[in-house]
Amino acid sequence: MSALEMQGVGFTYPGESAPALVQCTVHAESGAVTWLTGALGAGTSTALLVAAGLAPRHTGGQRSGQVRTLGLDPAGHSSPGSLGGRVALVLSSPATQLSGIAETVAQEVAFAPANLGWPRERIHEGVARALAILGIPHLAGRDPGTLSGGEMQRTVIAAMLVLEPELWLLDEPTSALDAAGRALMHALLRTEAARGAAVLIASEDTDGVAAVADRLIVFEAGRPVLDGRPDDLLRGDPVWNAGAASTTIAALGRAAGIRAPRALTVDEGVAQWAR
Amino acid sequence: MTAAPGSFAARAHPFTPLVVTLCIAVVAIALPGPAAVLYLYAATLILVVLTGTGRAALRALVPLAPLWFFLVLLHGVLGDGEQTTVLGVALSRNGLTLAATQAARLGAIATASLALYTSFSPARFVDAVAERGWPFSMSYLVVATLLALPRFRARAASILEAQRSRGLRLRGSPLNRARAIGPITFPLLLGALAEVDERGFALETRAASGVTRRTALAPPPDTRMDRLTRWAAVAAAGSAVAWRVLG
Amino acid sequence: MGALTPLVLEAVRFGYGSERVLDGLSLRVEAGEGVALLGANGAGKTTLTRLAMALRHPQQGRVVTCGRLTAGKKPEDFADVAGYLFQNPEAQLFARTVRAEVAFGPERMGWHPPRVMEAVDRVLGELGLASDAARHPYDLPGPTRRLVALAAALVGSPRLLILDEPTAGLDRGARVRVAEVVLALRAQGAAVLAVTHDLGFAAEVLDRAVVLEGKRVTRDAPLSDLLGHHPDFPAPPLLDLARRLGLEGVRPAIGTLAPLLTSPPETGTLQA
Repeated sequence: MSALEMQGVGFTYPGESAPALVQCTVHAESGAVTWLTGALGAGTSTALLVAAGLAPRHTGGQRSGQVRTLGLDPAGHSSPGSLGGRVALVLSSPATQLSGIAETVAQEVAFAPANLGWPRERIHEGVARALAILGIPHLAGRDPGTLSGGEMQRTVIAAMLVLEPELWLLDEPTSALDAAGRALMHALLRTEAARGAAVLIASEDTDGVAAVADRLIVFEAGRPVLDGRPDDLLRGDPVWNAGAASTTIAALGRAAGIRAPRALTVDEGVAQWAR
Repeated sequence: MTAAPGSFAARAHPFTPLVVTLCIAVVAIALPGPAAVLYLYAATLILVVLTGTGRAALRALVPLAPLWFFLVLLHGVLGDGEQTTVLGVALSRNGLTLAATQAARLGAIATASLALYTSFSPARFVDAVAERGWPFSMSYLVVATLLALPRFRARAASILEAQRSRGLRLRGSPLNRARAIGPITFPLLLGALAEVDERGFALETRAASGVTRRTALAPPPDTRMDRLTRWAAVAAAGSAVAWRVLG
Repeated sequence: MGALTPLVLEAVRFGYGSERVLDGLSLRVEAGEGVALLGANGAGKTTLTRLAMALRHPQQGRVVTCGRLTAGKKPEDFADVAGYLFQNPEAQLFARTVRAEVAFGPERMGWHPPRVMEAVDRVLGELGLASDAARHPYDLPGPTRRLVALAAALVGSPRLLILDEPTAGLDRGARVRVAEVVLALRAQGAAVLAVTHDLGFAAEVLDRAVVLEGKRVTRDAPLSDLLGHHPDFPAPPLLDLARRLGLEGVRPAIGTLAPLLTSPPETGTLQA
């Protein structure tokens, strides 16, 4: 069974006339990085919220169809306890994901494990590990309120990593990170998949994610319209026709009138154009 | 937390200042004025200074001073009975007594509350609640309320910066200042509401609404002094209520 | 257009409490320059931009923005010459329509209504917001709201434009608009100072790199000298490709590179 199964899911936010998701069927497998992309408003962020159960539980609105996250309906009444710590949600604005009660970064990362009642020793080890992986052990004693955007985003990711979740739901997680931070994040996605977690990431950072994703799902107007290997889909025209975008080099090729299949990376581009 | 480190307020078990403040409020309301209430206010001031949150006493004067002035004016002017002259204005002696009572009540409550606020450490409070075996959701209500204000202020400050960089002037005519209200309060409120939403998401996924017993990361010690203080405060509050009800 | 230098910092020292963030920092930004303010995560870069806008004042040294010393002045005193796009700029939107939002600044500065209308129409047109002029900012999607905030920073025709992570949260269409606007502004002689992690954007619209490290400027060089030659600043894809195809001098943007790459391989060598 897949880590996430959405069958014919429809979702409309409260007060909206147009649905954000229409007949959305998505499966995310454990041990793989599944990448969602699409034009603005295509529904990738909503799909993640539905997978987490936050839509409709926190957002309100109407959901139709079937959702099974780690085998459970995430919006069901019994779920808040059962999925706690097994599903990690990382959104793009780090500041609002801080707990607000931690006086240090270490306490912030320890927040969720403490809520889950982990023994103190396990918490301390987990926190130290997570901070090390995210490259921020030097921030352990800092006040989270004084962090820069990039430091905050790393802290928030560490706070989820410490839980060793079975399913990652990430929505533009690298928006505040510099080049080194993005590289770290992308490597982390692969090691998490290697550990057996299912990773579902919505991202417009095509250049960065293309190299680490196993599967690409393109959304258009609230539903997935393309589903395949990133390498195959990004070289062609359908991804553009769906309102999404390919890599920068492929975009250049398209603007220069090159026909599919197009070069995706700089190396391929040089081979394509150099004499 | 801005209480002096090492002071009693900083070292106390988080429940202690909370209980003491609540009891001061109860006593302030229950005691009949004016003498008893004035003594209570004085006692609160001394307590606040001794426990290392003395600055709260001074900061409390900021909202208190205009309130006191208003009380004197209201009761002094509208009060009946024998009149006395203060700074050339004829004010009712009864009214002034009443004003003094109310003023001292407000003073005690405001000073104690501000002292609590400055000595509050959310992490220690959460740990204290966890140590008792209660789940996180219980402590969150208290903590979120007390933290709402500094977050709100930080947000207001950053909105103010953005609007001033566009030319918003805060000085000048009353019309000018009135014009400044919209550009600050509207985004402030909308932003605060949106933040509540988003923060709710994050907390949910970090098991904040779970019912498991939370692990106390660094449980604050609950000393004999703490327990004694709390019992003494509750006893004082109980006595004051009994006195009021029975006497 | 005056001859006042958009931004000068001389031996600036600034800190919060006992912690010093900037120490002995000096920097000059000339008219028409596009400066990428780079450096590790930390308060230095944003702090510098706040000093430029008189949102903070140096404890030592001077900051002179468009010929005016910031000492003793407030940010609203610089609104007529400088524009600042904050991070998460949608936090400042409050008006009922996009037009009213963008008109707010000039109205505060006391411009006459015809002048306000003309400036607002111009900047909305430049950013492709003309069709949204009568809409409520909060009804618009995130990237569009950011463009509205950018329009508000540009409407006064600033001599110095300060941008803090301008491309964060933008979709491709909006990024293209921001890039066009920044280049046009520089061509008119205004200076642009941007704190950004988006090296592709920086390579496309800026030309000078100022690196902050250890409280002061450690490198001040043409951006192309830094990108791809420093481990912290890899060359973004278009710049990397351009260099390897012998197109080093061409602006690394799709719009400028594509026309040079359309000649099919059979027709011979590339035009540089």
